[in-house]
Amino acid sequence: MRSRTYKTDVAQLVALSDHRAPWLWAAAALALLALAPLVLGAFGLNLLITIFVLSIGVLGLNLLSGVAGQISLGHAGFLLIGAYAQAILTTDYKLPGLLALLLAGAVAALASLVVGVPSLRLKGLYLAITTLAFTFIVRHVVLFAEGLTRGSNGMPVEALSVAGFSFKGDQRFYYAALVMLVLAVLATLNLMRTRIGRAWLAVRDHDIAARAMGIDLMRTKLLAFMVSAFYTGVAGALVAAQTRFINVDTFSVLVSIEALAMVIVGGMGRVHGAILGTALIVLLPETLNLAFGAAGDGVKTLMADRIYEVKGLMYGVVILLFLRLEPEGLAGIWRKVKRFWVQWPLSQ
Amino acid sequence: MDYFVNLVTSGLVIGALYGLVAMGFAIVYRATGMVNFAQGEVMMLIAYAAYSLSTIPGLPFWLLLPLVLAASVGLGLVIERLFIRPMLGEPMFSRVMVTIGLAVVIRSSVLLIWGVEPTAFPRPLGSEPLRLAGIALYPGQIFALVSLALLCVLMALFFSRSRIGIAMRATSDNETTALLMGIDVKRISGIAWALSAVFAAFAGLSFCLMFSLEPEISQMGLRGFPATILGGLDSVVGGAFGGLVIGVAENLAGGYLGRGLKEIAGFVLIVVVLMVKPYGLFGQREIERV
Repeated sequence: MRSRTYKTDVAQLVALSDHRAPWLWAAAALALLALAPLVLGAFGLNLLITIFVLSIGVLGLNLLSGVAGQISLGHAGFLLIGAYAQAILTTDYKLPGLLALLLAGAVAALASLVVGVPSLRLKGLYLAITTLAFTFIVRHVVLFAEGLTRGSNGMPVEALSVAGFSFKGDQRFYYAALVMLVLAVLATLNLMRTRIGRAWLAVRDHDIAARAMGIDLMRTKLLAFMVSAFYTGVAGALVAAQTRFINVDTFSVLVSIEALAMVIVGGMGRVHGAILGTALIVLLPETLNLAFGAAGDGVKTLMADRIYEVKGLMYGVVILLFLRLEPEGLAGIWRKVKRFWVQWPLSQ
Repeated sequence: MDYFVNLVTSGLVIGALYGLVAMGFAIVYRATGMVNFAQGEVMMLIAYAAYSLSTIPGLPFWLLLPLVLAASVGLGLVIERLFIRPMLGEPMFSRVMVTIGLAVVIRSSVLLIWGVEPTAFPRPLGSEPLRLAGIALYPGQIFALVSLALLCVLMALFFSRSRIGIAMRATSDNETTALLMGIDVKRISGIAWALSAVFAAFAGLSFCLMFSLEPEISQMGLRGFPATILGGLDSVVGGAFGGLVIGVAENLAGGYLGRGLKEIAGFVLIVVVLMVKPYGLFGQREIERV
């Protein structure tokens, strides 16, 4: 049985992990994921890509909502901005994919100031509604700036390429998405143990108290919005690069709610929670499809015809169940299971 | 000039609809301090249920209205009891997320049960426009305006005269003190949800009488937010005023500045208003102790 760890200096306190085991497990998981394309078909591969790409965006939303405590119903707007930035930069301006990816994130981060600035004066619900307004405004701008975005026709997107190497095809894009996700996870983990990350936590717990402790509220909140929007913008750009064609309907308001469901299901403010939550929400419709596929043709046609409603119903039920029964989300379940095994003969 | 008058009139009518939605938001906010993101979906459910009731042969409209209102009171109480009350004492984020989850569940279930195709709603008040001083108003539009005016007066009286109304104000002011004064805070929250469902019923019926029964109706919840914010989340009568202002502003923006702007004029307006007055026009500033 593992005994208690004692931390004797600051470096140990803020270390990513105080044991070697998590690194080994992470390496093992990565190796497994790296081998996945050899086993999985196109369908499974695409599901994994979707999970990776959306996880990046959910990590961003998690930083804002879970870590810094600012509710956002506007992340569909940032995804939309990121996706269109990627489309315009690669298709119309022929920029290389990786550069466009970073620029897409930066454009979204800049746009986030539009919601970030009101957030300095607004709290809680007023802020949530302003972010919702932001989604509508972004949709409108994209639909009516036809010279730039081709309006409601949508836009084709060039495949991702780095230094002449094109990530066309599922297998190549899979590795690109995996690398981006690993980078995003590492960036998030490191961000959360810096002064900024701890300031976000303080702002979440009580912003006026945080200010009294010497935290610059304006800088901290704006930074939370910008960083979160950057992640989401990059995720949007990756979605665009994955589907190769986008229009405004790809990112409806339901997407913002789906993203919030992922954060809640995973567990607020937890990095592994964000990925677990995304995986669960993405895989849920597929699992139900399989489960009910056996139930007969009636259910099958219902799933095919009304997939949008069935999905919505599922997200809602999952949100309600997790909020009522397990507010800490999958990360909480993970922690309990782990504790059970670690303390096994003595666990209660 | 005629164009302007027409824009303002139809703006007021749409505004009355926003106002009814906003009053529903405000009354829940007043009693429980949370925003009910499912207001539009409750409205949708009631409207579809009203449609099913109206297909019963031989049921007169004067009987339909009380039936729908009774059903919506029941719905409000059930939602409060099943979903809202168990979350008492949880962080605000979770409580608001419950209403968002509820919204998605209701919308999807309604679409699964009744389908997505728009259906014509019966016109029990007739479909001939009424002419008043050169302005033509359809019965559905009059229904919306009259219900808004009526409910405004009733609410003003309710909050200043009735025991429950005053208890509700006390609860929103300070829950613990209200509890100490012998107010049943849980009952107040139930009443607030029932009342907000009644507002949803009036808004839903107005929508159906003006347009038709369509899934778009749940969007009215989102579109009513600017009105709520403009009036201040905690001011019920302010919400009605906010609705009228937003309705007229949207119509004028759509009529003079371009069609697409109609959809977002309200949202742009509130972002600007909130920058200047963070608690809306009639909202109370919250002062917090650290």
